[in-house]
Amino acid sequence: MSGGWVGKILDVDLSTGKILTRPTQPYTAECLGGRALAAQIAWDELSPEAGPFDPENLVIIATGPFTGTLVPTAGRTVMTSLSPRIYPRPWYTHSTLGGWFGPALKYAGYDAVILRGKASRPVYLEVLDGKVQIKDAGDLWGQDARQTQLLLKERYHDGVQVLTIGPAGEKLVRFATVQHAEENAAGHSGFGAVWGSKNLKAVVAYGTGSVPVARPQVLWEEIRKFGTYVISPGIGTLLNGKKPKPRPICSQGCTMNCFVSSYGTTVDGRVVPGQCIGGLAWMTENVMESTYYKGGGMEVPAGRNFGLCEEVTLHERCNSLGLDQWFRLVIQPWLIACEARGIHELRGFPIAPKDVFWFANFMEDLAQRRGLGELFAEDLRRTMDQLQGELPEDLIALGHELEFGFGFPAHREGRFWDEEPLPFWVISAMMYISESRDPTIGSHNSSLLQAEFFIDNKEVARKHFGQVSQHIWGFPDAFEATFENKAPVAIWSQNQHLLIDSLPMCDFAFPQMIKPYESKEEWETATEVVGDLDLDRRLLEAVTGRSWSRADLTRVVQRAFTLERLMLARAGRARPMEESLAPHFQLPCRADGTLIDAAGFSRLLDEYYTARGWDLELGWPLAETLRDLGLEALIPELEQRRATALSTPVSG
Amino acid sequence: MKIQVDVDVCRGCEACALACSLVHEGVSNPLLSRVLVKKDMAHYRFNLVICEQCHEEGKTPECIQACPTEAIRLDERNVVMIYDDECLRCGACAEACPYHAIFFNQSTDQYYKCDLCAGLKTADGKSSGPACVEICPVDALTLRLEAIPQGGAQ
Repeated sequence: MSGGWVGKILDVDLSTGKILTRPTQPYTAECLGGRALAAQIAWDELSPEAGPFDPENLVIIATGPFTGTLVPTAGRTVMTSLSPRIYPRPWYTHSTLGGWFGPALKYAGYDAVILRGKASRPVYLEVLDGKVQIKDAGDLWGQDARQTQLLLKERYHDGVQVLTIGPAGEKLVRFATVQHAEENAAGHSGFGAVWGSKNLKAVVAYGTGSVPVARPQVLWEEIRKFGTYVISPGIGTLLNGKKPKPRPICSQGCTMNCFVSSYGTTVDGRVVPGQCIGGLAWMTENVMESTYYKGGGMEVPAGRNFGLCEEVTLHERCNSLGLDQWFRLVIQPWLIACEARGIHELRGFPIAPKDVFWFANFMEDLAQRRGLGELFAEDLRRTMDQLQGELPEDLIALGHELEFGFGFPAHREGRFWDEEPLPFWVISAMMYISESRDPTIGSHNSSLLQAEFFIDNKEVARKHFGQVSQHIWGFPDAFEATFENKAPVAIWSQNQHLLIDSLPMCDFAFPQMIKPYESKEEWETATEVVGDLDLDRRLLEAVTGRSWSRADLTRVVQRAFTLERLMLARAGRARPMEESLAPHFQLPCRADGTLIDAAGFSRLLDEYYTARGWDLELGWPLAETLRDLGLEALIPELEQRRATALSTPVSG
Repeated sequence: MKIQVDVDVCRGCEACALACSLVHEGVSNPLLSRVLVKKDMAHYRFNLVICEQCHEEGKTPECIQACPTEAIRLDERNVVMIYDDECLRCGACAEACPYHAIFFNQSTDQYYKCDLCAGLKTADGKSSGPACVEICPVDALTLRLEAIPQGGAQ
């Protein structure tokens, strides 16, 4: 018996109301599920000419073979589309969210949903046990994300799971989210605005069906052995055996106690969960101060925390409005920088970013595109383009730098947000140059988060991660503080990220690069530290009943990554645009002061492109690379694009 | 012997329900589990529904009283069990259960309830379970071995 997939993909045309299904099976061997499955569908069916708000744009919601099973952290869902947030021009990207929606979709009989077209009026999609209808959402349009979910739960029952947009998505705010439950969002990529452009308010899913499991006894034994965690595995070691506070989870099947989550209480006394940047920056008393950075002639002011209850309340409101919580980490410091230069209004609108009431109103204005909100709803970089010439150049430059990574807030790049010492920021830089979005969001456990061990005790970390390096890459110095030979680490980490997004699992828990330790002493005195890096493959065999080698899985993710890269090529993304990220890495690292000049950055690109089998002029896959992955049918299109691009230089 | 519930620490991961359906039914489906996790989103509160083994409080469980064929009895472990071969599918037990902890599986036409993982064994043949207790990461579900003395408080 085979397991994992429930067998059907739903294809909904919101323009015509036509609802089709297709079998999942033809995709599973090459694409597995989730992000890899979505990449194949998008490559085949997403028009290269479409813009993010065109009806021709697709929204693909995809689960994987693990979704809805007991596999730890597997309740995740992937969403892909053209992202309106990406700067200087939108292209195809992905976003994942935890929660209970993906499982409900599978229990209802579908592995994935393709949404195309544009409804003539606000609608929502109802998916109930194999029955699918497009329903009128006139009464839901204008409601916030929390209220929409509560209304739909009242209309159906508590068991339905809902994805929905808030007012920000309806108003096409470029960083609008698709929300789910209180604590989950496809946040970073602005897909809420794509939903808004399609007049799609929500998707409701409920099902009584099962996800088949091929070898239930084997799966149960694997999961029993894996155990449950009172601290996060990996980084939780640094808590040093302190009894951790109980933390909420964000996903079905999560048996971790994730260090990036928190409970908080709103000013009106309601307990709410917060995850990731919501659980950290918005639901703690002092993390916003960590935005402070000074170096290389650039200064980012500290953000302002408004007090715990106020922060929790703002966090909850941000979710309900359907805004990406990351906006806070870049727009608030930028506005504080304006104030520091004596600028107290923009285009006639007063700014007071350290005032909680002003900030709360600003969020409402953002979501409604009112007043100053209309300007910033375009996101910081496009706002900088609009304000060019009206403000001092250094402020404009600061705005661009805060979202240096093609419009995404700086993250784990060793400068503005998170302390990645050398070589971690080099690994991060290689991911930034090659991916469609903030790439670091899915590679915490597979490389970047391990930096915390080096910050805590460098000598112990060097010894232990030397062993890890030897085991994974066959040489001991992958994590040594040098600039050389980091491409294998970046590529491995990206492969892990794509696999995790396709099975799916959570990147704060997997891969298990090191064994779990309960205290620093255990970690420091350990002799064999390499974790169980084969767990995902064994779980996949138990769930699906098929044989998968590590090489099979690597091929699936490299194939999908290549399709994503080819979609970037279709959008005109190439080496010159990637070279334009160099100035960010000429700023000194906040942890150790290291940096890289333009020539050095160019060498990083050479090393990375070569390791990927890409050409050095554009950073696009070579014909033999496509052939090796069974993608030879795509060679003619790529060669034609390559010839055109090389005869007309691509702008940076 | 019963599973004791502390809903205040539950986080709604449903690992208990998924483990239960996996070991009993060989599939993943929270609705085929003997433990039901309910979430009240408006107040961010959770509830867990599972057999309370009412006989431990010194009374005859309503399900046993309601069953017209005596298909619900205590087993040798002193656990309330449904003996499916003798069940008429009348649903009287489910209706009588004050905790709504007896469920019906339409596809197999069976009533089912928590059996404290009767017969569950590890791969090397050792007795195991209850699966929900083993998997719960926050001890919202714990196995209490001793019965409460009659008339005693919890």
